[in-house]
Amino acid sequence: MVKVWKLGLMSYDTALKIQTALARKHLDAILKGQDSLCDTLLLVEHKPVFTVGIRDDTPKNEIMRLRALGAEFRKTNRGGLITFHGPGQLVAYPVINLKHFKTSVKWYVNSLEETVINVCDEIGIKGTRSPYTGVWVDDNKIAAIGIHASRYVTTHGISLNCDNDLSWFNNIDPCGIEDKGVTSLTKESGTEWPVEKVTPIFLKCFNKVFGCETEEIDFKTQEEILNGVYKNLMTQTVGS
Amino acid sequence: MVVCSVFRVSLRLARSSLGAQCGARALYSTDHKARFYTKKHEWVTVSNNVGTVGISSYAQDALGEVVYVQLPEVGKKIAAGDECGALESVKAASEVYSPISGTITETNKEVESKPALINKSCYEEGWLFRVKLASPEELHQLMDQAAYDKYLEEH
Repeated sequence: MVKVWKLGLMSYDTALKIQTALARKHLDAILKGQDSLCDTLLLVEHKPVFTVGIRDDTPKNEIMRLRALGAEFRKTNRGGLITFHGPGQLVAYPVINLKHFKTSVKWYVNSLEETVINVCDEIGIKGTRSPYTGVWVDDNKIAAIGIHASRYVTTHGISLNCDNDLSWFNNIDPCGIEDKGVTSLTKESGTEWPVEKVTPIFLKCFNKVFGCETEEIDFKTQEEILNGVYKNLMTQTVGS
Repeated sequence: MVVCSVFRVSLRLARSSLGAQCGARALYSTDHKARFYTKKHEWVTVSNNVGTVGISSYAQDALGEVVYVQLPEVGKKIAAGDECGALESVKAASEVYSPISGTITETNKEVESKPALINKSCYEEGWLFRVKLASPEELHQLMDQAAYDKYLEEH
Protein backbone atom coordinates (compact mmCIF):
# COMPACT_ATOMS: atom_id res chain seq x y z
CA MET A 1 0.00 0.00 0.00
CA VAL A 2 1.37 3.40 -1.00
CA LYS A 3 0.00 6.53 0.66
CA VAL A 4 -0.70 9.42 -1.68
CA TRP A 5 -0.22 12.96 -0.46
CA LYS A 6 -1.42 15.71 -2.79
CA LEU A 7 0.52 18.78 -1.73
CA GLY A 8 -0.88 21.15 -4.32
CA LEU A 9 1.18 24.22 -5.25
CA MET A 10 4.18 24.34 -2.96
CA SER A 11 7.70 25.75 -2.96
CA TYR A 12 10.52 23.40 -3.87
CA ASP A 13 12.16 23.80 -0.45
CA THR A 14 9.08 22.87 1.59
CA ALA A 15 8.36 19.83 -0.57
CA LEU A 16 11.99 18.77 -0.19
CA LYS A 17 11.72 19.05 3.60
CA ILE A 18 8.65 16.83 3.54
CA GLN A 19 10.49 14.30 1.36
CA THR A 20 13.45 14.33 3.72
CA ALA A 21 11.20 13.86 6.77
CA LEU A 22 9.48 10.89 5.12
CA ALA A 23 12.81 9.36 4.11
CA ARG A 24 14.05 9.84 7.69
CA LYS A 25 10.99 7.92 8.92
CA HIS A 26 11.84 5.07 6.55
CA LEU A 27 15.47 4.97 7.67
CA ASP A 28 14.53 5.08 11.36
CA ALA A 29 12.21 2.14 10.84
CA ILE A 30 14.96 0.23 9.00
CA LEU A 31 17.45 0.89 11.81
CA LYS A 32 14.94 -0.39 14.35
CA GLY A 33 14.45 -3.46 12.20
CA GLN A 34 10.82 -2.66 11.56
CA ASP A 35 9.21 -3.02 8.19
CA SER A 36 7.71 0.41 7.91
CA LEU A 37 4.44 1.15 6.22
CA CYS A 38 5.55 4.58 5.12
CA ASP A 39 5.83 4.21 1.36
CA THR A 40 4.48 7.54 0.20
CA LEU A 41 3.87 9.18 -3.15
CA LEU A 42 4.01 12.97 -3.03
CA LEU A 43 2.27 14.84 -5.83
CA VAL A 44 3.07 18.51 -6.13
CA GLU A 45 3.23 21.52 -8.41
CA HIS A 46 6.14 23.85 -7.79
CA LYS A 47 6.54 27.57 -7.99
CA PRO A 48 9.09 28.34 -10.75
CA VAL A 49 12.43 26.76 -9.85
CA PHE A 50 15.50 25.56 -11.73
CA THR A 51 17.16 22.58 -10.07
CA VAL A 52 20.44 20.78 -10.73
CA GLY A 53 21.82 17.39 -9.63
CA ILE A 54 25.08 16.27 -8.02
CA ARG A 55 27.07 16.62 -11.26
CA ASP A 56 26.27 20.32 -11.47
CA ASP A 57 28.90 22.89 -12.29
CA THR A 58 26.65 25.82 -13.25
CA PRO A 59 28.75 28.98 -13.07
CA LYS A 60 27.69 31.76 -10.68
CA ASN A 61 26.76 34.26 -13.38
CA GLU A 62 24.52 31.65 -15.00
CA ILE A 63 22.76 31.10 -11.66
CA MET A 64 22.31 34.87 -11.35
CA ARG A 65 20.86 35.02 -14.87
CA LEU A 66 18.33 32.28 -14.12
CA ARG A 67 17.33 33.88 -10.82
CA ALA A 68 16.81 37.19 -12.59
CA LEU A 69 14.10 35.50 -14.66
CA GLY A 70 12.01 35.25 -11.49
CA ALA A 71 12.69 31.64 -10.58
CA GLU A 72 14.54 30.06 -7.70
CA PHE A 73 17.71 28.04 -8.28
CA ARG A 74 18.44 24.97 -6.16
CA LYS A 75 21.29 22.48 -5.99
CA THR A 76 20.07 19.04 -5.02
CA ASN A 77 21.42 15.56 -4.29
CA ARG A 78 19.55 13.90 -7.15
CA GLY A 79 20.93 12.43 -10.34
CA GLY A 80 20.56 14.21 -13.67
CA LEU A 81 21.42 17.73 -14.76
CA ILE A 82 19.49 21.00 -14.91
CA THR A 83 15.71 21.09 -15.21
CA PHE A 84 12.81 23.40 -14.53
CA HIS A 85 9.66 22.98 -12.45
CA GLY A 86 6.70 25.33 -12.52
CA PRO A 87 2.92 25.49 -12.20
CA GLY A 88 1.08 23.20 -14.62
CA GLN A 89 3.65 20.46 -14.26
CA LEU A 90 2.84 17.31 -12.28
CA VAL A 91 5.79 16.45 -10.06
CA ALA A 92 5.76 13.03 -8.41
CA TYR A 93 8.14 12.16 -5.58
CA PRO A 94 7.80 8.54 -4.53
CA VAL A 95 9.48 8.18 -1.13
CA ILE A 96 9.51 4.41 -1.08
CA ASN A 97 11.68 1.59 0.18
CA LEU A 98 12.76 -0.30 -2.94
CA LYS A 99 12.96 -3.47 -0.85
CA HIS A 100 9.17 -3.51 -0.98
CA PHE A 101 9.36 -3.51 -4.78
CA LYS A 102 12.62 -4.44 -6.46
CA THR A 103 16.05 -3.51 -5.14
CA SER A 104 17.32 -2.03 -8.38
CA VAL A 105 17.68 1.63 -9.19
CA LYS A 106 17.65 0.70 -12.86
CA TRP A 107 14.29 -1.02 -12.42
CA TYR A 108 12.94 1.93 -10.46
CA VAL A 109 13.84 4.55 -13.07
CA ASN A 110 12.49 2.29 -15.78
CA SER A 111 9.21 1.96 -13.87
CA LEU A 112 8.86 5.72 -13.49
CA GLU A 113 9.30 6.04 -17.25
CA GLU A 114 6.82 3.23 -17.83
CA THR A 115 4.25 5.00 -15.63
CA VAL A 116 4.44 8.17 -17.72
CA ILE A 117 4.47 6.23 -21.01
CA ASN A 118 1.20 4.64 -19.86
CA VAL A 119 -0.23 8.06 -18.94
CA CYS A 120 0.64 9.32 -22.44
CA ASP A 121 -0.95 6.23 -23.94
CA GLU A 122 -4.22 6.84 -22.04
CA ILE A 123 -4.27 10.34 -23.48
CA GLY A 124 -3.48 9.14 -26.99
CA ILE A 125 0.13 10.31 -27.13
CA LYS A 126 3.03 8.05 -28.01
CA GLY A 127 5.67 8.43 -25.31
CA THR A 128 9.01 6.71 -25.81
CA ARG A 129 12.35 6.17 -24.07
CA SER A 130 15.66 7.46 -25.35
CA PRO A 131 19.27 6.90 -24.35
CA TYR A 132 18.92 10.09 -22.30
CA THR A 133 16.37 8.73 -19.79
CA GLY A 134 13.06 10.51 -19.24
CA VAL A 135 10.03 10.20 -21.51
CA TRP A 136 10.00 11.65 -24.97
CA VAL A 137 7.48 12.41 -27.70
CA ASP A 138 9.55 12.26 -30.87
CA ASP A 139 12.53 14.53 -30.18
CA ASN A 140 10.87 16.47 -27.39
CA LYS A 141 10.99 15.67 -23.73
CA ILE A 142 7.68 15.45 -21.90
CA ALA A 143 8.90 14.06 -18.55
CA ALA A 144 12.21 14.43 -16.72
CA ILE A 145 13.68 12.10 -14.11
CA GLY A 146 16.16 12.71 -11.32
CA ILE A 147 16.28 10.56 -8.24
CA HIS A 148 18.29 9.82 -5.13
CA ALA A 149 18.57 6.44 -3.45
CA SER A 150 19.72 6.08 0.12
CA ARG A 151 19.82 2.56 1.54
CA TYR A 152 16.99 1.66 -0.86
CA VAL A 153 14.86 4.63 0.16
CA THR A 154 14.12 6.91 -2.77
CA THR A 155 13.65 10.67 -2.94
CA HIS A 156 13.10 13.09 -5.83
CA GLY A 157 11.33 11.60 -8.84
CA ILE A 158 9.71 12.52 -12.12
CA SER A 159 8.10 15.68 -13.50
CA LEU A 160 5.52 15.53 -16.26
CA ASN A 161 4.67 18.60 -18.33
CA CYS A 162 0.88 18.87 -18.37
CA ASP A 163 -0.20 22.38 -19.38
CA ASN A 164 2.76 24.39 -18.11
CA ASP A 165 4.45 27.36 -19.75
CA LEU A 166 7.26 25.70 -21.72
CA SER A 167 9.06 28.95 -22.50
CA TRP A 168 10.96 28.65 -19.19
CA PHE A 169 12.90 25.77 -20.75
CA ASN A 170 14.24 28.11 -23.48
CA ASN A 171 16.65 29.43 -20.87
CA ILE A 172 18.40 26.10 -20.30
CA ASP A 173 19.52 22.91 -22.04
CA PRO A 174 17.19 20.57 -20.17
CA CYS A 175 19.21 17.77 -18.59
CA GLY A 176 22.26 19.06 -20.41
CA ILE A 177 21.09 17.87 -23.81
CA GLU A 178 21.37 20.33 -26.66
CA ASP A 179 19.32 20.21 -29.86
CA LYS A 180 16.29 18.64 -28.20
CA GLY A 181 13.09 20.36 -27.22
CA VAL A 182 10.41 20.00 -24.60
CA THR A 183 6.70 19.42 -24.94
CA SER A 184 3.59 18.94 -22.80
CA LEU A 185 0.45 16.80 -22.76
CA THR A 186 -1.60 19.85 -23.77
CA LYS A 187 0.72 20.75 -26.63
CA GLU A 188 0.81 17.19 -27.99
CA SER A 189 -2.90 16.41 -27.66
CA GLY A 190 -4.33 19.80 -28.61
CA THR A 191 -6.69 19.68 -25.61
CA GLU A 192 -6.26 21.09 -22.14
CA TRP A 193 -4.66 18.71 -19.65
CA PRO A 194 -4.35 20.53 -16.35
CA VAL A 195 -2.63 18.74 -13.45
CA GLU A 196 -5.95 17.92 -11.71
CA LYS A 197 -7.14 16.05 -14.79
CA VAL A 198 -3.87 14.14 -15.21
CA THR A 199 -3.49 13.16 -11.54
CA PRO A 200 -6.07 10.30 -11.44
CA ILE A 201 -4.64 8.85 -14.66
CA PHE A 202 -1.14 9.07 -13.23
CA LEU A 203 -2.22 7.24 -10.06
CA LYS A 204 -3.94 4.50 -12.04
CA CYS A 205 -0.79 3.93 -14.14
CA PHE A 206 1.48 4.10 -11.09
CA ASN A 207 -0.57 1.37 -9.36
CA LYS A 208 -0.37 -0.81 -12.44
CA VAL A 209 3.35 -0.43 -13.07
CA PHE A 210 4.44 -0.69 -9.42
CA GLY A 211 1.92 -3.46 -8.71
CA CYS A 212 0.55 -1.66 -5.67
CA GLU A 213 -2.56 0.00 -4.36
CA THR A 214 -2.72 3.63 -3.34
CA GLU A 215 -4.82 5.45 -0.79
CA GLU A 216 -4.94 9.01 0.44
CA ILE A 217 -2.58 9.65 3.32
CA ASP A 218 -4.29 10.05 6.71
CA PHE A 219 -4.49 13.40 8.43
CA LYS A 220 -2.52 12.27 11.48
CA THR A 221 0.58 11.32 9.46
CA GLN A 222 0.40 14.61 7.55
CA GLU A 223 0.22 16.52 10.81
CA GLU A 224 3.16 14.60 12.31
CA ILE A 225 5.38 15.24 9.30
CA LEU A 226 4.40 18.90 8.94
CA ASN A 227 4.88 19.57 12.65
CA GLY A 228 8.41 18.19 12.35
CA VAL A 229 9.10 20.31 9.28
CA TYR A 230 7.83 23.53 10.88
CA LYS A 231 9.56 22.82 14.17
CA ASN A 232 12.89 22.51 12.34
CA LEU A 233 12.12 25.68 10.45
CA MET A 234 11.50 27.58 13.70
CA THR A 235 14.69 26.22 15.27
CA GLN A 236 16.72 27.19 12.22
CA THR A 237 15.24 30.69 12.18
CA VAL A 238 15.88 31.23 15.87
CA GLY A 239 19.34 29.70 15.61
CA SER A 240 20.48 31.80 12.69
CA MET B 1 21.66 0.78 -0.58
CA VAL B 2 22.08 -0.52 -4.01
CA VAL B 3 25.74 0.18 -3.72
CA CYS B 4 28.19 -2.31 -2.37
CA SER B 5 31.77 -2.39 -1.17
CA VAL B 6 34.43 -5.01 -0.99
CA PHE B 7 37.59 -5.26 1.07
CA ARG B 8 40.48 -7.48 0.37
CA VAL B 9 42.02 -8.34 3.68
CA SER B 10 44.99 -10.29 4.60
CA LEU B 11 44.18 -10.69 8.25
CA ARG B 12 47.26 -12.63 9.11
CA LEU B 13 49.54 -10.03 7.59
CA ALA B 14 47.58 -7.13 8.96
CA ARG B 15 47.96 -8.43 12.49
CA SER B 16 51.69 -8.99 12.33
CA SER B 17 54.05 -6.07 12.68
CA LEU B 18 55.17 -5.39 9.17
CA GLY B 19 58.68 -4.55 8.13
CA ALA B 20 59.21 -2.93 4.75
CA GLN B 21 60.09 -6.25 3.19
CA CYS B 22 57.09 -7.96 4.65
CA GLY B 23 54.90 -5.08 3.52
CA ALA B 24 56.08 -5.41 -0.03
CA ARG B 25 55.32 -9.09 0.08
CA ALA B 26 51.82 -8.38 1.35
CA LEU B 27 51.26 -5.89 -1.44
CA TYR B 28 52.14 -8.31 -4.18
CA SER B 29 50.98 -11.53 -2.64
CA THR B 30 47.68 -12.97 -3.73
CA ASP B 31 47.67 -15.39 -0.81
CA HIS B 32 45.21 -14.92 2.00
CA LYS B 33 43.46 -12.09 0.26
CA ALA B 34 39.75 -12.12 0.70
CA ARG B 35 36.95 -9.82 -0.24
CA PHE B 36 34.55 -8.80 2.48
CA TYR B 37 31.11 -7.38 1.83
CA THR B 38 28.55 -5.17 3.50
CA LYS B 39 24.79 -5.63 3.27
CA LYS B 40 24.77 -2.53 1.13
CA HIS B 41 26.95 -4.29 -1.41
CA GLU B 42 30.23 -2.50 -0.90
CA TRP B 43 33.35 -4.65 -0.88
CA VAL B 44 36.71 -4.26 0.81
CA THR B 45 39.98 -6.11 0.53
CA VAL B 46 42.85 -5.39 2.88
CA SER B 47 46.52 -5.38 2.25
CA ASN B 48 49.07 -3.93 4.66
CA ASN B 49 46.33 -2.51 6.85
CA VAL B 50 44.98 -0.51 3.90
CA GLY B 51 41.52 -1.39 2.66
CA THR B 52 40.51 -1.00 -0.98
CA VAL B 53 36.80 -0.33 -1.41
CA GLY B 54 34.43 -0.77 -4.33
CA ILE B 55 30.92 -1.95 -5.13
CA SER B 56 29.91 -5.52 -5.94
CA SER B 57 28.88 -6.91 -9.26
CA TYR B 58 25.31 -7.20 -8.01
CA ALA B 59 25.33 -3.50 -7.12
CA GLN B 60 26.76 -2.29 -10.42
CA ASP B 61 24.16 -4.33 -12.26
CA ALA B 62 21.31 -2.93 -10.13
CA LEU B 63 22.58 0.61 -10.69
CA GLY B 64 23.02 0.45 -14.44
CA GLU B 65 25.67 2.38 -16.31
CA VAL B 66 27.52 4.66 -13.93
CA VAL B 67 28.05 8.12 -15.44
CA TYR B 68 29.45 10.09 -12.51
CA VAL B 69 31.50 9.31 -9.43
CA GLN B 70 31.87 11.45 -6.33
CA LEU B 71 34.65 10.28 -4.02
CA PRO B 72 35.81 11.37 -0.56
CA GLU B 73 38.79 13.65 -0.08
CA VAL B 74 42.14 12.13 0.72
CA GLY B 75 42.91 12.63 4.38
CA LYS B 76 39.28 12.51 5.44
CA LYS B 77 38.52 10.40 8.52
CA ILE B 78 35.52 8.13 8.18
CA ALA B 79 33.66 5.67 10.36
CA ALA B 80 32.24 2.37 9.17
CA GLY B 81 28.80 3.01 7.68
CA ASP B 82 29.51 6.67 6.92
CA GLU B 83 28.36 8.08 3.64
CA CYS B 84 31.51 8.90 1.73
CA GLY B 85 30.64 9.29 -1.90
CA ALA B 86 27.97 8.98 -4.53
CA LEU B 87 27.51 7.25 -7.85
CA GLU B 88 25.18 8.45 -10.54
CA SER B 89 23.58 6.14 -13.06
CA VAL B 90 20.44 6.49 -15.19
CA LYS B 91 19.63 9.85 -13.57
CA ALA B 92 19.86 8.31 -10.11
CA ALA B 93 22.33 9.35 -7.44
CA SER B 94 23.12 6.61 -4.94
CA GLU B 95 25.26 6.94 -1.85
CA VAL B 96 28.40 4.95 -1.19
CA TYR B 97 29.12 3.96 2.41
CA SER B 98 32.43 3.00 3.88
CA PRO B 99 32.56 -0.60 5.09
CA ILE B 100 35.31 0.27 7.57
CA SER B 101 36.62 3.10 9.73
CA GLY B 102 39.85 4.88 8.95
CA THR B 103 41.47 7.62 6.92
CA ILE B 104 41.14 7.97 3.16
CA THR B 105 44.59 7.54 1.64
CA GLU B 106 43.80 7.45 -2.07
CA THR B 107 40.94 7.70 -4.55
CA ASN B 108 40.76 6.09 -7.96
CA LYS B 109 41.41 8.94 -10.42
CA GLU B 110 40.87 6.62 -13.35
CA VAL B 111 37.32 5.82 -12.30
CA GLU B 112 36.54 9.52 -11.86
CA SER B 113 37.26 10.18 -15.52
CA LYS B 114 35.87 6.83 -16.72
CA PRO B 115 32.95 5.92 -14.41
CA ALA B 116 31.91 3.03 -16.67
CA LEU B 117 34.95 1.13 -15.33
CA ILE B 118 32.73 0.33 -12.35
CA ASN B 119 30.42 -1.65 -14.61
CA LYS B 120 33.23 -3.16 -16.63
CA SER B 121 35.49 -4.20 -13.78
CA CYS B 122 33.93 -3.61 -10.37
CA TYR B 123 36.48 -5.70 -8.44
CA GLU B 124 39.66 -4.57 -10.20
CA GLU B 125 39.92 -1.34 -12.22
CA GLY B 126 36.64 -0.03 -10.81
CA TRP B 127 37.76 0.26 -7.18
CA LEU B 128 36.74 3.55 -5.55
CA PHE B 129 38.99 4.52 -2.66
CA ARG B 130 41.56 3.26 -0.16
CA VAL B 131 41.35 3.58 3.59
CA LYS B 132 44.02 3.16 6.25
CA LEU B 133 42.16 1.02 8.74
CA ALA B 134 41.56 2.43 12.21
CA SER B 135 40.03 -0.77 13.59
CA PRO B 136 40.93 -3.87 11.57
CA GLU B 137 38.72 -5.98 13.84
CA GLU B 138 35.70 -4.39 12.12
CA LEU B 139 36.36 -6.75 9.23
CA HIS B 140 34.91 -9.57 11.32
CA GLN B 141 31.55 -7.89 11.15
CA LEU B 142 31.48 -8.06 7.36
CA MET B 143 30.41 -10.98 5.18
CA ASP B 144 32.92 -13.20 3.45
CA GLN B 145 32.26 -14.38 -0.12
CA ALA B 146 30.21 -17.41 0.94
CA ALA B 147 28.11 -15.41 3.39
CA TYR B 148 27.56 -12.68 0.79
CA ASP B 149 26.51 -15.17 -1.87
CA LYS B 150 24.02 -16.60 0.59
CA TYR B 151 22.81 -13.10 1.45
CA LEU B 152 22.18 -12.36 -2.23
CA GLU B 153 20.20 -15.57 -2.60
CA GLU B 154 18.02 -14.73 0.36
CA HIS B 155 17.33 -11.13 -0.56
